[in-house]
This record gives sequence, C-alpha cells and structure tokens, in this order.
Amino acid sequence: MTAAVNVTGLTKSYGEKTVLKGLSLSVKSGTVFGLLGANGAGKTTTIECMLGIKKADSGTSSLLGLDPKKDRRRLFEQVGVQFQESQYQNEIRVNELCEETACLYSSPADWSELCKKFGIGDKLSAQVKSLSGGERQRLFIVLALIPKPKLVFLDELTTGLDARARRDVWKILSELKKEGLTIVLTSHFMDEVEALCDEICILKKGSPVFMGTVSEAKEKSGCEKFEDAYLILSEDNAE
Amino acid sequence: MKRFFTLMKNELKLNIRDMNMVIFALIMPLAVFIVLGLIYRSKPAFEGADYTFLEQSFGAVCAVSICAGGLMGLPLVVADYREKKILKRFKATPASPGLLLGAELAIYMLYCDVSLITLAIAAYISGAGFGGSLVKFLGSWALTAISTLSIGMMVGGLAKNSKQAGVIASILYFPALLFSGTTVPFEIMPKIMQKLVGLSPLTQGIGLMKSTFLGIPSGNTAAAILTMLLTTAVCTGISVKFFKWE
Repeated sequence: MTAAVNVTGLTKSYGEKTVLKGLSLSVKSGTVFGLLGANGAGKTTTIECMLGIKKADSGTSSLLGLDPKKDRRRLFEQVGVQFQESQYQNEIRVNELCEETACLYSSPADWSELCKKFGIGDKLSAQVKSLSGGERQRLFIVLALIPKPKLVFLDELTTGLDARARRDVWKILSELKKEGLTIVLTSHFMDEVEALCDEICILKKGSPVFMGTVSEAKEKSGCEKFEDAYLILSEDNAE
Repeated sequence: MKRFFTLMKNELKLNIRDMNMVIFALIMPLAVFIVLGLIYRSKPAFEGADYTFLEQSFGAVCAVSICAGGLMGLPLVVADYREKKILKRFKATPASPGLLLGAELAIYMLYCDVSLITLAIAAYISGAGFGGSLVKFLGSWALTAISTLSIGMMVGGLAKNSKQAGVIASILYFPALLFSGTTVPFEIMPKIMQKLVGLSPLTQGIGLMKSTFLGIPSGNTAAAILTMLLTTAVCTGISVKFFKWE
C-alpha cells in the first residue's frame, strides 16, 4: 500500500511559542488516521501545515505524491477539507454554498444526493446561519466530500452532533473508506476514534507521544478501555 | 468558464441580498442626477455655454456608482471574506485568486453597467442632449470603471481585515467623491487643488467622460488614457500576485 500522506520534520512556531516540534507521520492509502490530543496540542496546526494552508517553518509534506504548495490547484481537485470553524458568507443558503463549492471542481459529486445522505436534504433552501450546529457540521462534511476526494481531512468532524447523527456519519465514512477513501481526522471522542481509526497519533504540546493502532495503545498503557489508554498516554512523556 | 459564471451568479445573489450596493451604486447616483436635474433644469453650465449643467455632470454622476463599487464594495467584500476565513476555505480548493477576484470584479462592473443604463434613461427623460461621440464616451467610461475597480481589487486583495479595508476604502472613497469632480465641479477648485486631484485616474476619467459626452476638446486625452491604463495594469498585477488568502 502506498502512502497518501507523507510528512517529515514538520515544525511551526507562532512567535516564541513552538506549536509543532518536528512531526513526522505517514498515512497509508485507504486507511483512517486519527490525530488526537488535548486542546492546543497542535492538531489543527498539523493539518493546516500538511495542507500548505499555513507555512511550516521547516519540514516537508506530500499529499497523494504532490507538494501542496507547488501543486495546490491540482492537489485540491482530489483532496477535501473540513475546517474546524466553518466559514460561510453571511446570507448564503445551503444550496448556494454547495453549488458554489461544486463549481470549483472539474467533476464534483452530486451535492443534493450527499446532503440527503447526511440528513440535511430538506434544508437545501435554508440559510446556512439558520441551521443547527449539528446540521451545519454535517453540511461542512458534505462540502469536504463534494470534490469526490481520494483524501479527506476532517477537523473535529462530529463536534456538535447528537448520538444518532454521529453514528450515521461513522457509517457513511466507513462506506467511503471501503471505496478507497483515505481519511485524516481529529476528534475528542474516543469511541469514535476506536470505531473509525486504523492508526492514531497522540500529540502533546506539538510532539507525538504515541503512534500506532488503537489496540497497541491499549496494550502499551495496560488499559482495557481506549479512553483510559488515551488519558494515560497523553499524560505520559516517556516517548 | 462555467465555474466563473456559477461563482458570479451566486456571489451576485448574495450581493443583491446585502442591498448596500443596490443603494450606493444604483439608487444614489440616480438620486444625485435627479436632484441636479430638479435644481438646474436646463440652465447652461456657465454663462454663454452651449451645453447645460446637467449635461456637463453626466460623466461625474456615472463616477458616483463606479466609486461606490470600486472603492467601497469590492475592497470590503474581499477583505470581509478574508476575515471570515472564507478565502481560507477557498484556498483548500482548486480556485485561483484570479477566478475569485475576477468574479467579484465582474459583479461590480455589472452594477456600473446597470447604473449607466438607468442614468442614460434619466438623462433622456430630462431632455439632456448627448453632443459627443458614443464610442468615445463609452470607452472613457469603461476605462474609468476598470481603473477604479482595479484600485479596489488591490486594496481588497491586500488588506489584512475588513476594518483595515474599511479605513482605506473611506480614505479613497470620500475624497474621490468630493474632489475628483464627482460632486464638486473640477472647474470651481483652486488651481493648486486642480493639479493635485488631477493626478488621480478618477479625475482623468471624469474629465474624459465629460469632454466625450459634450463633444468638446479635452485637455490631454493621451495622458488621461495612459494614466488609467497604467493604474489598471499595476493594480491588477499587484492584487493577483500578492493576493492574501489569510
């Protein structure tokens, strides 16, 4: 299996504060990779530096074999991104935002079908700002899937969703994974990570303290429950 | 081309929903023209002039809508998208700065077009006569519009946030409105001031529109055309080259 994401020695500081300390990781094609860590551990910065949205101080990032800086437009034909904070124009409606996003790609997915799949098919003519937090979150996952991506980045994908909606999103993502989609996600829900992720990386203050599978994490920490394992590992500085 | 028109269509809908430009780029210039018409009726521009004050002002009133779009609307909308991180989302798509700026530019150009048409109708009804060359007038109008919009595009492309863009827009918009001959006639300004505001491409454009509308000789046509072309080229170049997504 080839790597969909290859990152080496990623370093980033904001002024005095170093947010990423030489992070290297690689995500195999067709797998789900979870970036975990407390608030401020550097998850979002990692994603933004990988994507070339933020300029890393040093290190390299290659997505689907492309350099996100040099091949930005070619790369983002095949990569979908859902940012943690959703951004949209003031008065825009759901169908307008979808159409405006879809028109940027050469062969976009059928967005009204995607909206239906994510349970917001009846909200197409609603204003985006009038949606509930969970509906808006699902809309932004839809936007990330409109390019028919080979690789998708989902930053805090199910924040704000109720239990039912979370399960639905998991199911759709698992199906997409079976079709060969590579997913990089961040999450604070350990049940979600356990259900979805093939491999995880736990970040602490910009450095990885654990990298491996969920069961390896449990083994290493000696815990039966993954959430306990996560808490022990993310407090442990040994690695 | 399809992506350009879809983007433009959606952005235009949002822009109309916002109403600001409908008021400042369409209604306001028309209102200014109607008020001028009511005040001056068919009075000559000055004693012995063979054209009326209203005819003399037509080009300047066209510039009211050009200023509203180019120096207010365009820079503010782009800077607002940057601040709201909408441009950041666009950065993670295959969209190019040229596509985004081009679509916004086209929208404001459209406002200018519609405004020109409404003003022309109002001028026709008021009995203002067109004494110049239509081709030359439309050429001057188009140059004025595109050079002013390119200034706005540069401000919008580079401003850090909408507050900064707002300040720059005000610094450009209000003096432009007052001093370029848009509202205060160029002719009544002191010589030194005429020289100063004469440097602005907007003043040059208004002068050119006026002379081509009336069919009277203008000062230095070549210099005016050159100033506006140069402004357009430099500002467009800078706005695309140094475009800031975040």
